[in-house]
Amino acid sequence: MGSGNDSILDMYLYETNTLLEQLDGILLAAEQADTFSQDSVNEIFRIMHTIKGSSAMMEFPSLMTVAHRIEDLFFIIREKGIDVVPETLRPELFDMLFQAVDFFRGEIEKVENGQPLSDSIDSIVDKINSLIDKIQGGGAPAAAEKPASGGGEAPESAAPAAADPSYPFGIQVFFDEGSGMENLRAFMLLNGVKDYCADYLSVPENVENDPTTSEIIADQGFFVWFHTAQERDSAIPAVHAAGSVSSFQSVDAKAEEAPAQPAAAAEAPAAGAPAPAPAPAPAGGAPAPAPTPAPAAKQPAAAKESLISVSLTKLDQLMAVVSEIVITESMVTASPDLKGLRLDNFNKSARELRKLTDDLQDVSMSLRMVPVSSTFQKMNRIVRDMSKKLNKRAKLTLIGENTEVDKTIVDGISDPIMHIVRNSMDHGLEETEAERIAAGKDPVGEIILSARHTGSEVIIEIKDDGKGADCQAVLSKAIRQGLADPDQEYSQKEILNFLMMPGFSTNTEVTEFSGRGVGMDVVKKNVGEVGGTVTITSEWGKGMTTTLKIPLTMAIMDGMEVSVGGSIFTIPINNIRSSVKVSDAEVIHDPARGEMVKFLDSFYPIIRAKDVFQMEQGCDNIEEGILMWVEAGERSYCLFVDELMGEQQIVVKPMPAYVNSFNIKNYGITGCSILGDGSISIILDIANLYNAAQDAF
Amino acid sequence: MSEENVLFAKQSDTPPAEEIPAESQSDKYLICVSDSLLYGIDAEQVVEIITDHTITYLPRVPHYVRGIINLRGQLIPIIDMRLRLGKMPEDEHCIMVVNVENNVVGLLVDGVERMADIPRDSILPMPTQNPQKLISGMCSLPDGATMLVLDCSLLLHG
Repeated sequence: MGSGNDSILDMYLYETNTLLEQLDGILLAAEQADTFSQDSVNEIFRIMHTIKGSSAMMEFPSLMTVAHRIEDLFFIIREKGIDVVPETLRPELFDMLFQAVDFFRGEIEKVENGQPLSDSIDSIVDKINSLIDKIQGGGAPAAAEKPASGGGEAPESAAPAAADPSYPFGIQVFFDEGSGMENLRAFMLLNGVKDYCADYLSVPENVENDPTTSEIIADQGFFVWFHTAQERDSAIPAVHAAGSVSSFQSVDAKAEEAPAQPAAAAEAPAAGAPAPAPAPAPAGGAPAPAPTPAPAAKQPAAAKESLISVSLTKLDQLMAVVSEIVITESMVTASPDLKGLRLDNFNKSARELRKLTDDLQDVSMSLRMVPVSSTFQKMNRIVRDMSKKLNKRAKLTLIGENTEVDKTIVDGISDPIMHIVRNSMDHGLEETEAERIAAGKDPVGEIILSARHTGSEVIIEIKDDGKGADCQAVLSKAIRQGLADPDQEYSQKEILNFLMMPGFSTNTEVTEFSGRGVGMDVVKKNVGEVGGTVTITSEWGKGMTTTLKIPLTMAIMDGMEVSVGGSIFTIPINNIRSSVKVSDAEVIHDPARGEMVKFLDSFYPIIRAKDVFQMEQGCDNIEEGILMWVEAGERSYCLFVDELMGEQQIVVKPMPAYVNSFNIKNYGITGCSILGDGSISIILDIANLYNAAQDAF
Repeated sequence: MSEENVLFAKQSDTPPAEEIPAESQSDKYLICVSDSLLYGIDAEQVVEIITDHTITYLPRVPHYVRGIINLRGQLIPIIDMRLRLGKMPEDEHCIMVVNVENNVVGLLVDGVERMADIPRDSILPMPTQNPQKLISGMCSLPDGATMLVLDCSLLLHG
């Protein structure tokens, strides 16, 4: 029982969160254009309707009430067109909607955490109500009709219009959101109605033969019109009995007609679909102007059908099983029992199997890949809010938002990106537009958020065209904080790295958005947790670029197995340039007992894995072992190991949390993998290994 | 596996004597030996007992972390109890896999003795003049021996 409820709640949370994200996107686009397209009005109406319905079902009255009021508001806008909202009221409308989205988000978060919901929804409801009043007051006086709020509430009729006079009493029926085949559902409903009263008129007509009507019904509801109120009342049980009906209400022909006609006249060329539907067909003659333009309006719904939502734990399970299969496969095909046998058929089948498991791996991996766009879209909102608060005009440009990354990584980088964007808005961009103009820049600041793939990594750049980092200020701050040595010379890059040290924050004031002293170091830590790196580049006066390099996926990679003193280590293939045997004579020594070797006119330091890892066994003689020439970022060096064992595809497993608590990541150990024979190999992080070796000497 | 069976056999042997009335206030402890001292670990935390696993050396961790093992695909760090308590290591051992606050770790001990029901009120605090980390209390067993109650979370975080 409990788990059943949980899964309903999960569905509700998932659905509502998705809807809110969608809503946020629509609102931002609409605010930019300073108007709502008919499509987005319909979409918002639909979203609010869904939230209202599902919140009511889950018994969250506050959410339901707010959604209901917004639905009412958009009902008016939908009926009369966006022009009903005067230009002057629009900022207020957008602010209110964003506020409502935040309210929903907050409440949903409370639901997720099992906290009680807030009861104080009055302020937001008041805001919506006052907006509705203003719109109605300022709008066309002729159309001062009430929104279709509660069921059965008869709207005031303001302008009696040309309804079919003999069928003035109607029922408007809405079917369940996304139930599909609305026309057939309507047809079945009509069959039911026939049992009670045979004399009626339906809009749209001809539902059983014309599938395009289902879109109108989904959008506008399905209307059944009767001669008398008694007939209507007698038919209501049939509507009750019909399946998939989400809501229905009695409507009065005159009132329904009034808003519909002007709307239809105003928008007929652009969006003919929704408008004509509520108009009861005169004498039942031509209800069919609607079907043809209809498909344009409902594209999003159609596209959704091919998607399902799967819980992440199931995908994790799948990944785990696939990983085990990959390991087991190599266990079988590389079994020691087969050594020395000539098995042509076996090898052929093994190759086939290998190919299939590779495919399986790729597919299961791709399941977890999601575009970064949802994360990027959230930044739109942050930039908008902050530019209002800080009174800085800024635009956000998104590049490559369709780049796909592993789901866990997307979750992991969302907060860091948000933090960096906030930093850029708060500290990066100049305080005033005058400053920007004086510097010869566009008065409107720009933040570019871009994502792109490079082989095994995703590179995410957050670039602003603000004033950039003042290296001197950063350095003196670092010295004051005791992070830097005043007597030492630092390169610009090193200075910028101070920004990412714990406890460093250049802003002396704590603002609402940033400057709490937990800044970039948290970003660095979070990105590090998903295996990525952060680098900052900046030019004084020109802006700042923060680059996140993140592995595409952390689960499976190609590695080279090497051995050192009986232990097996894995070096990621991407880091390896080549492997070299050198003689004693080729090794160059420096006074601090460092060793170097020269390839292609450059010197590279030699790092002995045995020394870095303080191992007792292993080769000491440089001629007995082998040098792995490796490279990570700008670091390039030679790692001295005992033996090269071969290339293998490995499944990366994180180190147990207890082991990680000893900070072995800083010594270049990122994880481990289980080899075909069940033994464990340790995966090296080439960049950190170098740093560890530098610290050691 | 066989060891586990032995344990459960022992467990059913012990209760009849005097512990039935106090059962609601008693906890089950698994008693293991390390350097001829008896340590009791809350039986709830013990996942299983294994022998003969190759321990993979892990560089750059405290010396008492002997390495990691692959237990059916799960990676488990191994803590040598002797080294952790400052004793000399021995070769003979078995591994008690315990789950402490969702950290699964293996404890390398000399051997596992038996399961015992210990009434809560019989566990006494360590005398203050002899403060020993990792030990949260001690108690006398019916056979006269003394059991030290090992606090596994101190073991991990201490």
